[in-house]
Amino acid sequence: MDDGSRLVVGVDIGNSTTEACVAAVDAAGRVQRLGSALTRTTGVKGTPDNTDGAVTAVRRALEGARRDPAGLDLVLLNEATPVISGLAMETITETIITESTMIGHNPSTPGGGGLGAGTTVPIDDLVGDAPVPGGPSIVVVPRGWDFDRVAAVLNDAVGRGLELVAAVLAHDDAVLVANRLTGEPAGGAIPIVDEVGAVERVPLGMAAAVEVAAPGRTIRTLSDSYGLASVFGLDPDQTRQVAPVARALTGNRSAVVVRTPSGDVSDRRVPVGELVLTGAGKTLRVDVDAGAEAIMDLLGRVQPLEDATGEPGTHVGGMLAQVRDTMTDVTGQPAAEIRIRDVLAIDTFVPREVRGGLAGEVALENAVALAAMVRTSRSRMQVVADRVAGALHCSARIGGVEGEMAVRGALTTPGTDRPIAVLDMGGGSTDAALLTADGACTAVHVAGAGELVTKLIDSELALDDRDTAEQVKWYPLAKVESFFHVRHEDGTVQFFTEPLPAHVFARVVVMTPDGPVPVPTRHPVDHVRRVRREAKRRVFVVNALRALRQVAPGGSLRMLEFVVLLGGSALDFEIPEMIADALAGHGIVCGTGNVHGTEGPRNAVASGLVDAWATEPAGEQAGELAS
Amino acid sequence: MTGPTTASLREVGPAARGTRPDEVVIAVSPAFADFFTRTIVDVPHAEVLRQVMAGVEEQGVTSRLIRVWDTADLAAIAHTGAKLSGSGICVGLLSRGTTMIHQKDLARLSNLELFPQSPLLDAAVFRGIGANAAQYAKGESPEPVPTRNDQMARPRWQAKAALLHLKEFDRIRAGVKPVEVVLESAPSLAG
Repeated sequence: MDDGSRLVVGVDIGNSTTEACVAAVDAAGRVQRLGSALTRTTGVKGTPDNTDGAVTAVRRALEGARRDPAGLDLVLLNEATPVISGLAMETITETIITESTMIGHNPSTPGGGGLGAGTTVPIDDLVGDAPVPGGPSIVVVPRGWDFDRVAAVLNDAVGRGLELVAAVLAHDDAVLVANRLTGEPAGGAIPIVDEVGAVERVPLGMAAAVEVAAPGRTIRTLSDSYGLASVFGLDPDQTRQVAPVARALTGNRSAVVVRTPSGDVSDRRVPVGELVLTGAGKTLRVDVDAGAEAIMDLLGRVQPLEDATGEPGTHVGGMLAQVRDTMTDVTGQPAAEIRIRDVLAIDTFVPREVRGGLAGEVALENAVALAAMVRTSRSRMQVVADRVAGALHCSARIGGVEGEMAVRGALTTPGTDRPIAVLDMGGGSTDAALLTADGACTAVHVAGAGELVTKLIDSELALDDRDTAEQVKWYPLAKVESFFHVRHEDGTVQFFTEPLPAHVFARVVVMTPDGPVPVPTRHPVDHVRRVRREAKRRVFVVNALRALRQVAPGGSLRMLEFVVLLGGSALDFEIPEMIADALAGHGIVCGTGNVHGTEGPRNAVASGLVDAWATEPAGEQAGELAS
Repeated sequence: MTGPTTASLREVGPAARGTRPDEVVIAVSPAFADFFTRTIVDVPHAEVLRQVMAGVEEQGVTSRLIRVWDTADLAAIAHTGAKLSGSGICVGLLSRGTTMIHQKDLARLSNLELFPQSPLLDAAVFRGIGANAAQYAKGESPEPVPTRNDQMARPRWQAKAALLHLKEFDRIRAGVKPVEVVLESAPSLAG
């Protein structure tokens, strides 16, 4: 350029985004930053496929800075080792009901209330003038019966001496029938459970009990082992057998239990396979269905992890093999040479329909989510640099190692000093780097970041829609209480002068910048919020502590002074404060990065690259530009 | 066997604004259960009302019936009902069966749920409509009532629907305020 300064672009290729920072560097090494841009990373980080994304980012940044691409002198790329993370989630428990012993679902509107124990009787037996069955009876009503007719038949039968103690209905009629019962007990206050889809499979002529709790309460007797023993007159051995039934019914507002000779509810553990962890001269094995805590304990004992494998032919084996295959495709290294360097296991739960259930009962089954991460030593960034140089007709070179550059960028945040640690929370992995007072830099990558949070939210809320889960992750929630006001998740109310769209009325919504978007769930705001915060805590807080311990001198967090949060997830509205809370007890100053006091947590590596180059001796700079 | 085949709606006075937050207004058109007794596919009006009211009752909410005299436009009927409803929620019904769930704060031509294909509405759908209206009144978030969609409904039924609409239109009494009505015929309790 005319004034002797040079136009330099730093490019940071990350797992999900590629960032560029344009700057003019004058002869004295002074850096004037002109603009920045970001775009999606093309291909897997650290591979030649990144070229397109890098070129796009550079062009956009130049456009934003209103500089002619022809005047570009140098592109600086980060040395990025490919980090591939794989995700898998496996259910490890399964609830199975045999012989239709229980119906433990939560119809939104059961009828009546209380507890009724008796013998199951089909309603067809009560039609006509035949004598009614003796003893307490629980009437079972199949599909196709109208509520008025059910009530008429029951009232008639009670008039002829039937001792009606409860009813089980196929349709959503419980309140209607309860309101129409006139006979004893007075007011028709017998428990009625409805919406039992497979009511024809309810065993007839068996001892049974029906319980419906008052609104806002849960059942007390049928969800208690001794309650069941009292109702059915069980001996200690039988009581031991029905204990799983009681446990399965906990938390329901209504339930039916039928006592059949061999009926049972079993809570089976599904074999998922063994995880084999190698490191620190040891090889340890753990069953994945032992849960996340056992896996992470074991992982702690084999640090640093050298490799992780799964038992062939099992779910976990398949998942780890898939991560390896992806890596083979990307790097061309044979699968045998690829090592899994980190694993994050998280306990979660998945709502699943109960096998053998009669009313579409849903049980929360335990599951384990696994994130695995692979690193190779063989980076192919030089190929990317050559291609970028060709596409943009300028020089391009690898300007520095990612971790060091991130620290350099983070140090431009006002109020920071060495020793400084950065936490780069991206989509696939969480990276930590530490710069000590004497200038030594160490960096680690651990598995699990934003993608895993999205996946946890998606499965725990049974959304089955990644985009909605992503929105739940990014934006706060609210409940639309009328067309003119919403109640935010913190309880504050916001009014609108224009009516809200009809499709969000009375719904739980996420408050996106484009307006409220409904979340397809029956759960209240509180529940969705709890799931969201727990998912973030289990991934980011756990990973922040794990990664910082690995870089901290002697593994002690107290040795750290400043921690700067970087990356896309540092823009989240609650993750930074959750991590700051977790670190506060260790006497650490923690906050979101603000690169150069203006850029926020973005662009640390890209501007770090430019700054690093600007401080190099002028002779070396000239050498590069000439080459 | 279930329910009466004819219903009559007896006027009990001008329709007032409701004060109970747990009520859903069911607003019917001028010829509903009067000149007409069945929907376009012969679902008796008595059964339509019985199912909608049952859906509301199952949710623990009460229903109130009104008749709108001065229009045969469904959006206008339902919006009129919504403005008179204590909860602000109204189910609007045309004689041929077309149905809408409306809310008082919405623009007149908007709605919460619209069931435009009258030939596809049966007793189960009417029950679902009542249940959803009641859930909106309670501030809950029901899934919209599942309905079938038939591309051929329009060509097959359009002529009949047009005729029914003309007849409905003839029954309009311009300038007459909405009236509160009660369902006269008691359901027959055959068993």
